[in-house]
Parts: sequence; structure tokens; C-alpha cells
Amino acid sequence: MNGDTVTNPGALALRRRRRIKTRLSKAIAYIVVTLGAILLLVPFFWMVTTSLKDLNEVFAYPPKWIPRPPEWRNYQDAWQAVPFGRYLTNTVFVTILGVFAEVVSSTLVAYGFSRYWFPGRDALFFVLLATMMLPFHVTLIPTYMIWKNLKLLDTFDPLLLPAWTAWGPFYVFLLRQFFMGIPRDLEEAAIIDGANVVETFGYVMLPQVKPAILSVAVFAFRGYWNNFLGPLLYLNSMEKYTLTLGMYFFMGGVHEAPKWHWLMAMSTVFALPMLVIFFVAQRHFVEGISLTGIKG
Amino acid sequence: MQESLYLGTLIRYVLTFVMMVGLSLGVYGLLRLFRVRETYATGYALISPWLAGFLIFTAGPILASLGLSFTSYDLFTSPKWVGLDNYRWLFSDTLNFWPSVKLTLSYAFLSVPIGVIGSLLVALLLSMDIRGIGTYRTIYYMPAILPEVSVALLWRWLFNSEAGLLNMVLKPFLRLAGIKNPDWFGDPRFVLPAFVIMSVWGVFGTNMVVFLAAIRNVPKVLYEAAEIDGAGGFRKFWSITLPQISPVILLQVIMGIIGALQIFTVAMFTRPTSAAGRFMNQLIYERGFLQLKMGEASAIAWVLFLIILGLTLLVFRSSTAWVYYEAEVRK
Repeated sequence: MNGDTVTNPGALALRRRRRIKTRLSKAIAYIVVTLGAILLLVPFFWMVTTSLKDLNEVFAYPPKWIPRPPEWRNYQDAWQAVPFGRYLTNTVFVTILGVFAEVVSSTLVAYGFSRYWFPGRDALFFVLLATMMLPFHVTLIPTYMIWKNLKLLDTFDPLLLPAWTAWGPFYVFLLRQFFMGIPRDLEEAAIIDGANVVETFGYVMLPQVKPAILSVAVFAFRGYWNNFLGPLLYLNSMEKYTLTLGMYFFMGGVHEAPKWHWLMAMSTVFALPMLVIFFVAQRHFVEGISLTGIKG
Repeated sequence: MQESLYLGTLIRYVLTFVMMVGLSLGVYGLLRLFRVRETYATGYALISPWLAGFLIFTAGPILASLGLSFTSYDLFTSPKWVGLDNYRWLFSDTLNFWPSVKLTLSYAFLSVPIGVIGSLLVALLLSMDIRGIGTYRTIYYMPAILPEVSVALLWRWLFNSEAGLLNMVLKPFLRLAGIKNPDWFGDPRFVLPAFVIMSVWGVFGTNMVVFLAAIRNVPKVLYEAAEIDGAGGFRKFWSITLPQISPVILLQVIMGIIGALQIFTVAMFTRPTSAAGRFMNQLIYERGFLQLKMGEASAIAWVLFLIILGLTLLVFRSSTAWVYYEAEVRK
């Protein structure tokens, strides 16, 4: 039936058996992968579907998968229940400035760590890596005291200003890995042509590391967008809240029953920018993780 | 004026940038003045902002918090030296401190192996060359990009004792076992399982991406050689894939332990009641910033720091036995 010229019937049977085996294992693989994907998407689907239910449907048993009719109002109502518009502006402000400072400073620091040798460089870089493993909470209270002494509590400064010091060791690490991969000749050629540090960096190195810079920007965006501890500690007045902090208080007190349809609506809205950025910059995101072996 | 909300910060933001540039130039000028080699001076100048930040925001605060842990301090009056009192008080506190240590450690010991093994298996699955696998990979990355806050709120809703999807699905089984709807975040018996179940979701996402990249980096030649020798699928995984990616596994275990012990945001948003149990980081926040017992909070932070340090070193020590490095000659 397959018309091949194999004369040895044993070999033919073996080959057929192997083909069936790979086909079977492929089928199993598809089933497992699909089950996993469903398991993964169900909670997400549940979030969106809850956000479109009215209060009765939210607590209905058996659960309703598709709310009819979808209550798009929930989004509007939840958004207006607390000043989410203001929180969004604050979050955008902090995120843009934070990401920019983070990208600029960590690129320069990574450049120093990767393209120059100076006494103590490797020891210092080791220290930088070690800070990645440091529990954040151990520095919390003295850092809080610094900002208190500077009279900058209840401003965005504590969330932003440290970004200029290449605050995220992961970003420096990621960029350094990238810089290390650029051939030396490129730089040397520029220096022979009489370019100074700034020119070499700007014209030769920067275009080369653009993908890594995008990765860092995506990670830093995620970091600032999701930052909760910082706003929780440093922002007191309502009009300065970021979205995370706004959501935290929007949840209500410990013994208060939360308005789940509203909360799920806000969770969805809050996740949306991340999802969009991910689908636009997926390659950079995945590359960044793959290159360093750690998440941001 | 609402705009004044941002203006002050914006000015100080620009000033900080100018200061950092000034610092770099200053370092460079000073070193050149002492006739330090050009390349050395440039290198130091480039990393000086990080070094300054490290000293001010990391090294200084670590030492300061160690100091504070031996004092009684409420942020407003100056710290009073109390010696080991904070630690003594903590270690005798069986109501809050020990339960939170226990919960935090149990969470790490359960969630890290599940996370590492689970994401490795998923990565293996996704590393297969079958049609449409790219789409699946994209779906599987999703938990990595969903914000922690959204995920935590979503889980809290899924775990809701009356109307949560999980309890609805489990209802028939629970009835069979004679258990009423569990109050996952309000019951000390269920709070640990709840967090461990949540961590399973983290199997997908970033860890998996890391493993996937590592698996795909294993030289194909090794597999071909093994096939010629007649090795089967499992044998290839055990003798080639696993040793080849073991450095990545080590890194994942360490980062996993560090991350799990520091769980905070998810715990704050899922709000386990204090009767059900709290994680150490929550206790630090509560003691320090809600009750203004900064000394005690610093002591808890240092205990956590030492636990993390100890476990990390332990894993590193053990790694010589199970991590394979290319350059090493094996006997």
C-alpha cells in the first residue's frame, strides 16, 4: 500500500511500528498540551466572565460561564467608584519616568562592567549579582528612614529617584550579557577612527544592544506597573495612589464582602496593558529571560 | 492645583540625573588627576551611579537594620538600645512569629519543588517539534505576564468559600469526604494548601521559558550520538538533557527559594486572616509600619535574611554533587 521497495518484511514492520509509535506519542502530547492550556485559561476566562455578571449571577450555583446579557456597565461603575482615573495617571507617571531612568542608568553601568576592565571589577559585579538574592524587606526600614529624613514621604520620589542608580541588578546583568557578545573589533575600529567614549557608545554600541534595551524596558515596565510595596509604604494621600494601591483599598476591609464583579473588572483592566505589551514585544521578553536564565 | 502633584518630583528627578552625571564626571576627573589609567577611570566613572546607589540604598540599610534590630524604635523618638530583647521576644512568641516562620518555610519547601519539576516537565513538553506548538507556547507564557495583583485577586475569587469556582468544582468530592466548603484563606488548615495550589499556576510562565531555552540549547549532536547507541527517550532525558541543564536547575531552585520566602504582594491581596496565618514579610510590614515597632520588624527581617542566606548556601554546597559543568573533568 505504501509502494516502497523494502523487501525485508521485518524492517517494514519495524518501521511501521515506529511510525505508529511516534504518531501515538504526538497525539498524547497534543492532548496533554491542550489540557494544560485549558487549565491555564479557565481561571483567566473566569476573571473576565465574572467581570461581566450582575451580582446575582456572580453567586449563582451551578456557575454560569457566559453571562447573559453581559454587564459592560460593571467596568464603568467600578472605574468611577474610586478615582481610578487619577490612579492611572499616577501609575503612568511613575512607570514612564521609572522605566526611562532604569534603562539609561543600567545601560551605562552594564557598559562599564562589560567593556572596561578595572581593578575590583569582577568583585563588584559579584556584589551586584548578590544583591539580586537579597530579601528586599531587610533594607526596608532604614530606606524608609532615609526618605523620612529627606522629607519626601508621601511623594513619588522614593519610587523613582533610586532608578537613576541602576536600581535593578537584573537589568544590568541582562545588558551586560548582551554587551559581552559584541565583538571587540567593532569598538577598536571606532577608537582608531578617533571616536571618544561617548561617540563609541552612542554610534557603535547602542545600536547593537537595542534588543536588550527593549527587553529591559519591558521588564522595567512590568516592575513599575506592578509595584505594590513601594506605594503601600510611601504614598499616604489618596490622590497620589497608584493603581495597585487603589485596588488594594478598593478590595475593602478584612471582614467586608468584596464586590467581586467590580474587582474582576478592575483586575482585567489592570492586566490589559501588560497583555498588550507582551503581545507586541513577546520576542524581547522571552529573549531576555532566555539569555539570563532568570526572570526580571 | 493637581499638577503640583508631579512637578516637585519631576524637578528632583531631573536633579538626580544631573547629580549622577556629575558623580560620573567627578569620579573620572579625580581619577585622571591621580594619573589613573584612562580605561580604569572610564570604567569606574560608568559604574559609579550603581556603586553610589548600592552604598546608599543597599549596603547602608542592611547594616542599619541589623543595628536597629537591637533597639526599640518607633520612628519618632530616637532608637533605644535593648540588646537581644527583640530576638528573645520573637523566639518566645508562639502566637505570631513561629507560625509565620513555619508557614513561610513550609510554603517554600512545597512550592519550590513543585514549581521547578512542574515547569521542567511543561518545558519538555513544549520543546517538542510538533505543529502549532508556537501558539501553545504563547498561551503558556501568559501567567508570567499577568500582573501579580490581578492574579492574586483572581485566585482569591476562585478560592471564595461560597461562590468560588474551586469550591463549586470540588463540591461533590467535598461532600463525599464530609467536609464543608473550605474557607481557604480563613482556616489555618487550608491556607498552606491554598498558596501551594496558587503556586502551581506559576509552573507555567517564566520558569518554563527559562527551561525551554536551556533545553533547546543542548547540542543536538549529543542526542544523535545517543540514538546511535540505541538510547530511548527516557534515557536521553536522564543522561543528556538533565545533566546539561543542571546549572539552570540550580539557578531556578535558588531563585525559587528566595522568591517563595519573600512572598508578599500575593499574600496581601488574598488576605489570609491572622488566625489562618501570615507570611514573614507580612509580619515585618505589620510590626514595622502598622504598629511602628521598627526594632522588632528589623529583627524579623534579619531572621528572614539569615534563613535565605543559609538555604542558598546549603543549595550551593549540595550543587557540586548534582550540577554538571561543561568545563569540569568528571571522573
